[in-house]
Amino acid sequence: MKKTLLSLLCLGLFASAAPAAELTVLTAGDQNMVDYVNDYLGPLFEKQNPGTKVRVVGTGPGDAGSQKILERFEAQAKASTAKWDTDVAVVHEKFAGPMVEAAYLASYRGKIASGKLVTRTNAQMALGTKVDGYVMPMFNSQTAIAYNPALIKTPPKSYDEIVAFAQKHPKQFGYNGIKGGASGVSFVMGWIYAYGEGSAEKLMNGPFEPAETQKWGKALKALKAFNANVTLTPGNAGTLDMLARGEIAMGPVWVDMFLSWQRNGQLPPSLKLVLPAPGMPGQPMHYVIPAKSANVALAEKFVALATSPEVQAEGIVKRFNWYPGIDAQHVQKALDKATWDKLFIDVPPADLARYGKPFPIAPYNNAILEAYEREVLN
Amino acid sequence: MPNSLSRHPRLAALALVTPALAMVALFFLLPLLASVVGAFETPEGPGLANFSKAFALYSRDMLFTLAIIGGATLLTGLGAVAIAGYLTLGECPLAVAALRWLYRWPLFIPFIVVGQIARSFLAKNGLMNNALIGAGLLDPLSATGMLDWRGLILAFAWKQIPFVALLVAGAMASLDRGGIEAARNLGASRPRILWEILLPQVAPSLLTALILSFVTMMSVLSVPLMVASQSPTLLTVDIAFRINAYRDYGLANALGMISLAISATVAWFYLRHSLREKR
Amino acid sequence: MRGKSHPGFDRLGTNGISGSHADNESPKEPFALSLSKGGRFRHGAVFSRFDLIAGLWWLPRALMLGALAFAIFGPLCNLLLWAVAEKWYFPHALPLEYGFSFWGRVFSARGNAWEALGTSVMVAGLTVLASLALAIPAGYALARLKLPFRALILLAFLIPQAFPNLPVYVNVARLFYAIGLNGTVAGVVIVHVTHGLVYAVWIATAAFAAIDRELEEAARAAGASALRAFRDVSLPLAMPGLMASAIFVFLESLDEFTGSFFVGAPDVNTLPLLLYTAGAGGNYQIASISALLLLVPSIAFMLVLEKFLRADVLARIGQ
Repeated sequence: MKKTLLSLLCLGLFASAAPAAELTVLTAGDQNMVDYVNDYLGPLFEKQNPGTKVRVVGTGPGDAGSQKILERFEAQAKASTAKWDTDVAVVHEKFAGPMVEAAYLASYRGKIASGKLVTRTNAQMALGTKVDGYVMPMFNSQTAIAYNPALIKTPPKSYDEIVAFAQKHPKQFGYNGIKGGASGVSFVMGWIYAYGEGSAEKLMNGPFEPAETQKWGKALKALKAFNANVTLTPGNAGTLDMLARGEIAMGPVWVDMFLSWQRNGQLPPSLKLVLPAPGMPGQPMHYVIPAKSANVALAEKFVALATSPEVQAEGIVKRFNWYPGIDAQHVQKALDKATWDKLFIDVPPADLARYGKPFPIAPYNNAILEAYEREVLN
Repeated sequence: MPNSLSRHPRLAALALVTPALAMVALFFLLPLLASVVGAFETPEGPGLANFSKAFALYSRDMLFTLAIIGGATLLTGLGAVAIAGYLTLGECPLAVAALRWLYRWPLFIPFIVVGQIARSFLAKNGLMNNALIGAGLLDPLSATGMLDWRGLILAFAWKQIPFVALLVAGAMASLDRGGIEAARNLGASRPRILWEILLPQVAPSLLTALILSFVTMMSVLSVPLMVASQSPTLLTVDIAFRINAYRDYGLANALGMISLAISATVAWFYLRHSLREKR
Repeated sequence: MRGKSHPGFDRLGTNGISGSHADNESPKEPFALSLSKGGRFRHGAVFSRFDLIAGLWWLPRALMLGALAFAIFGPLCNLLLWAVAEKWYFPHALPLEYGFSFWGRVFSARGNAWEALGTSVMVAGLTVLASLALAIPAGYALARLKLPFRALILLAFLIPQAFPNLPVYVNVARLFYAIGLNGTVAGVVIVHVTHGLVYAVWIATAAFAAIDRELEEAARAAGASALRAFRDVSLPLAMPGLMASAIFVFLESLDEFTGSFFVGAPDVNTLPLLLYTAGAGGNYQIASISALLLLVPSIAFMLVLEKFLRADVLARIGQ
């Protein structure tokens, strides 16, 4: 027993001879993010750059996953590590700002070819922090309302109609509050956009004014009343889970998660999506490169490949049905019409443009969450 | 045990404990120190603001945590004693063997998977209700989900009962069987033997195991996150939320201190009690 | 002496999967059924053996066992079903389609499942060895010797379990980066040991405390050195408890994610690192398959310990 263990130990201590160049990718998000690098992007990059090896580590879904990456950077920064052990990271929008502010990241967008294919504002500002140059969007994700068309013939077109539905069909609408992941948070933010008495524009674009935070009392009170009629689900996956088991008929979900659950056979293929007025937030997942990465040049090459129109078309749109990160027209050119149109079966481009909103800037974001904790939960 | 042990018993004892203690001190207590200090940091300098905010926002969750973990510990204790008792006193070899084979499986399932299977087993349209309906034991209309406090307690107990039962059954088996046989010959029922003869003797093992269970459950995040992360919820969820949503380590650490205080109080009562008994 | 050393062995007997305890006891209890149900047939041992009614005593027992089996295997069935489910959703009570495509994904060349499993087992094994090496002397001292601040010391071991770890790991990672332990097997083992030590120390303390002091004293009186008395008398008697603690430490290490991520990844990848993303994200198939994979070393470790221990203790008892 001991001998086996000792030999195992020796194996572990001496077997870590690395290949010529190893690119380490940390990714937040669901299993499909890990699969994406493992099944598609990694092999492609290795083929184009012989001798390199891509390894990917998933840090878990939701903000918690990105937070772990941020903490890892923080630990290395505080320990004054000369070369960090991460070359590329994929993080949620919310964490790009703090990383830039802490000066953990390299500004690289100007150096890669695909850099000028991104003109959306969410690649320049992340929840109120200037991140221009430091991030490349991997894909854009959107929250929407998933529903079962067998039970709901006319899906709600607005928050008002959702409220009416919940009143008429108690517990048939489900969402995950604010502590179980961002799909619930997104529903709450959309609620404030719809019913808050301030300006939604100001919440999304700033500037932050403390007086603005006093304008949500009524909206939150209504939300508390609304909560009495709905099912509260455990987490992003919890909402999908209850939809899959037919325990709720409707609920907010991340579009990419929804599609991947359908692909995995965990959701009835008949379920559909709708994006209600006045809109719900979405966010990009960003590629970032730590300034102290041991392989900055290789990392830039990797992101350049990952955000090239061909890879965005083949990998992001065709394989995973995600909304592309770089500007749509560059990706559309690389795809046939049928594949492109499949992206917008449930949520047409016009709705996406009108009702796909950003999250509020960070200080409002936090203030809304705290107000929810105080007013709705207590 | 070297011979100096008898000459300097206290020193020798300390020397034996030191390596283990140093390990914990160096690699956990030292890093923890920064967290403890952080709990008292506020924008205005050191103070208790984090704690007062913690109580203002999460006092309901604190009580809920105490009730859920306490309830789960109680259920774990009952289940474990019943299992261990039957293993010791059971008279049908086949049933004892079957039980022994059965009860340990949940021990091997990681908490995160316990969360997943509890969620899909206990839900309204979960496997349990489906099975009961299929067997004609449950009316489909009266089926309800248990993804709330019940689900939390059941999931925790499911995972922890084998842990406690393993230790308690071990302790029971090492008891002198003479007392049990004597009681049996006097006609005592098995529940009575369990309650009056076995339990008092294995109480230290039982309490140790229950406290370890309590503390373990207090720090589990995945089960509440996946079974019932709504309000009220367990403190671990709030801690994760404070960090992931606000990056508010101050308040998270304050909640951590409160959680630690709850565990330490429970453990302290037991340790004091067991010390007094030793004397 | 013989009679006294028996309990230590027997304690494991109850833990044993093979049911040796029942086998040992059954010859002594030919009237096993006579006591069931409040002893009504206390004196009816002879006829209960032959009476048809005796057959019915099975009923409540079988029902109870059935209910327990449902409570334990129901959720586990869920796990098994998801491991082979290709499609499963409402209103279907059971999977619509079965298959192994997700197994292919878990075991794909780049998935590194085997390597991660190997690393996990190695880390868990080393964690057990280190924990026991630290816990046996500590537990002995805590149980047997005069020690100042005994309760406080025991409490100190509890803290790594009792303080929710999330806020602490940044600091641990920072420390490990500073001293070059990050990304090493040793670093991961250290994190797991600090966590598992509470099980090892507390249970070792309880195990040593449960042993009759007189046994060791008798050995000393017979001329054995303190070390020898410990090795030949106390240690074997405490062994079942120590082995139980080894199992918990092993399982704890095998399931640990957060510390492994902060200290180990990306160089040291354990299986929970693969499991976590799938589990937390609700990818039931991948999570279930990884969990099944984790079952293999857990159960193997338990079986190995029991086998190894039984032979060992038996040999000593024979001496």
